[in-house]
Amino acid sequence: MKSHSEALNSLARKLAVTLMLRGAIRWCTAWFFIWGAVVLAARLAGLADYRLLLLGLLGAVPLAIVAAVREYRTRFLSAPVRAAYDGLNQCGGLMMASESNDLAGWEDQLPAPKSPVLRWRSGRSMGVFGLSVLFVSVALLLPERLTARTGSKPLEIGQLVAELKAEVETLKEEKILEPEKAEDVQKELQRLQEKSSAIDPSKTWEALDHIKESNQNLAQQAAEEAVTKTKNLTEAEALAKALQMANEMGLGDETATRVAQELAGMVKAARLEEGLLNGSIPPELLSQLEGLKREDIEKLLGAIQFNKSALGKTVTNLAKLKLIDPKSLSQCNGAGQCPNPAGLAAFLCENTNASFCDAAAFYCRGGVNRGRGDAPMTWKDESQEQGAKFKEEALPSSDRLTDAQFVGVSRTAPELSGEEIVAGRGALANAAAGGGAGNAQVVLPRHKQTVQRFFTRGD
Amino acid sequence: MSDVILKPDQLKPATELVGKALEQLDRILLGRKELHRLVIIGILSRGHILFEGLPGLGKTALVRTIGQILRLEFKRIQFTPDLMPGDILGTHILQQTDSGNREMVFQPGPVFTNILLADEINRASPKTQSALLETMQEHSVTLLGQTRKLPQPFFVLASQNPIELEGTYPLPEAQLDRFLFRLMFDVVDASTLDQIISERRRGELPEATWQMERSELESLFEIMGRIFLPRPVSRYIARLVSSTHPGTPEATEAVTRYVSYGASPRAAIAIAEAARAHALIAGRPTVGFEDVKAVAEPVLNHRLVLNYQARFDRMTSSKLVREILGQLNEAGMKLPADVELEPA
Repeated sequence: MKSHSEALNSLARKLAVTLMLRGAIRWCTAWFFIWGAVVLAARLAGLADYRLLLLGLLGAVPLAIVAAVREYRTRFLSAPVRAAYDGLNQCGGLMMASESNDLAGWEDQLPAPKSPVLRWRSGRSMGVFGLSVLFVSVALLLPERLTARTGSKPLEIGQLVAELKAEVETLKEEKILEPEKAEDVQKELQRLQEKSSAIDPSKTWEALDHIKESNQNLAQQAAEEAVTKTKNLTEAEALAKALQMANEMGLGDETATRVAQELAGMVKAARLEEGLLNGSIPPELLSQLEGLKREDIEKLLGAIQFNKSALGKTVTNLAKLKLIDPKSLSQCNGAGQCPNPAGLAAFLCENTNASFCDAAAFYCRGGVNRGRGDAPMTWKDESQEQGAKFKEEALPSSDRLTDAQFVGVSRTAPELSGEEIVAGRGALANAAAGGGAGNAQVVLPRHKQTVQRFFTRGD
Repeated sequence: MSDVILKPDQLKPATELVGKALEQLDRILLGRKELHRLVIIGILSRGHILFEGLPGLGKTALVRTIGQILRLEFKRIQFTPDLMPGDILGTHILQQTDSGNREMVFQPGPVFTNILLADEINRASPKTQSALLETMQEHSVTLLGQTRKLPQPFFVLASQNPIELEGTYPLPEAQLDRFLFRLMFDVVDASTLDQIISERRRGELPEATWQMERSELESLFEIMGRIFLPRPVSRYIARLVSSTHPGTPEATEAVTRYVSYGASPRAAIAIAEAARAHALIAGRPTVGFEDVKAVAEPVLNHRLVLNYQARFDRMTSSKLVREILGQLNEAGMKLPADVELEPA
């Protein structure tokens, strides 16, 4: 009977394991179908995080365990399994009777112990299980463009919109942009953020780019205006300071009046009240600029410096938001320097008939550096070197410069009137007064590579 | 039913006795071993048997031979339309006693015997057929308020002709239900006929060379009561009978389609008893599923009331029972459809 008992236990064990496995697979199948549907719905609605949905797959593990435990608990009692074993092995009820009776003497009547064959036609179950796995996989791996509905997935443009709003706000605060227009742009930005769609982002991006470009153009325009105004104010400041110092040095009234008149012209030429960046000179000063008294020069100087400071601050703010390039900021800073007002003051005292405006520009020169002029070079037919000759010219000896006399400052070459001026020759010939020295060198074809190297060298 | 199964040495004499009886039966009546086996099962189960077959197939010879082998008294009644209940049960007749008085004296009918052959039972009127109801169920006869016990054992072995149905009275369901088996008497094959012709002069049956003693028969009945019926088998019988009723959870699709009324609880009892007898003949102290399957068809085939749809589709009770047996899980394990247990 021991062997029959073993065969019976083996059958019970196989039956339990098979049914537990079957139950687990069925529950997992159901879970995968349900979770696949949930994933699909969540992705279509854009409600859940992808990783969270992926974690949901792990829900199949406890479900499989629960299913297996449930099958184990509800698995067949020993009596039906014993009855099945009896029936399948043609034991004639002896195995069933052995549960409660002693079969002494009847063991020989029992057939040879054989464990019945347990057959699980798992094809369909496994097929449906595979289908459920495929379904949940497809639901998870479906491309975003197929799952996102129109308008349901907004673009991630929050940071960009915030930056643009800050730019608009700055432009508004600096009075570069009108408040009404700034309000409109803010509303437009808000609308773009709320109604942007990941399905067709081009419109949103185009609108944002347009606003960005408008801001930058406006800022660049303001920066250029600031550079010009700063430069003019600096010259006026230099002249004002020089006038102040010249007065202390005993400048004559007539000259002082002329300087004041020219200073008034320079302040007016700055046109502070016009353009994007409006500055202001106190009206009482403006009204009496031409007849400026010595004590009012201090006030004018303060007003000029205040306006310069305001312009500089504005440009700095614009540069912080990267609305203008750093070059514009450095130009503006450079334009605000007046390195030698004492020299100008001395000049005023010594040259009562000179142009004070030009003198002020001279003493303030070198402030604005617009850099080199990058321009595309085009080369046409090469010229022939054959027969080309330098024009021979005998240069005067440099020691004669010691006898040179300073006759004035001008932006252009000095005009010659009859008498030969020695100063017009030599190393400074052809040099513009305000633009630095330069030699008019004839560029020949053989200089081509040298010129190219000059313009292509690194900064 | 006892909880302690029989020992081999207790069962073996009974099995040998039954084997001898079967051997005698098979020797005397040729070519119907399975039928003889079922008849012996019916006798051991103390059940009544309804034979159905054409005339001349040996129904009477079978019953007579059984009576001879078992040493049981045998009587035969040829049922006719004018047969009256009194002709079967007996009647009171007025007789003059020795003292000169007259009194009603009961004259027992042919039913007072051990084996009663009711030949062509369906030719008698319902009134006469009904006279057998009490005798078959209660093994007694009640006349004029007096109940008389029939001799034990008492078996009714009835026969009916499936043809020439004109002028017959089909047995009512109540009476059919009282028969343990309905056995079909088929025509024997040619080789058996050849054997009958060559070995039996004018068809005369050979005498029995062995007869069972009454005490031996009683011991067989006693052993029958000690054959162990395991609970799974009794549950199987219960589910089998229940499955013949349309509308029950166990009912098959065919049952729902073709059956008007299923088998009665008496059928379940009959199957259990017959299965015990089958196990006894097989020499086993316990009833197995195969015993139930062996006797289920003759027990159930006359207890199912089929509908007209069954007639149209030529569905018979026997086919239906075989179909139920094929579909019903023996052990009662509700295995999923895709999981199967098969013999090794």
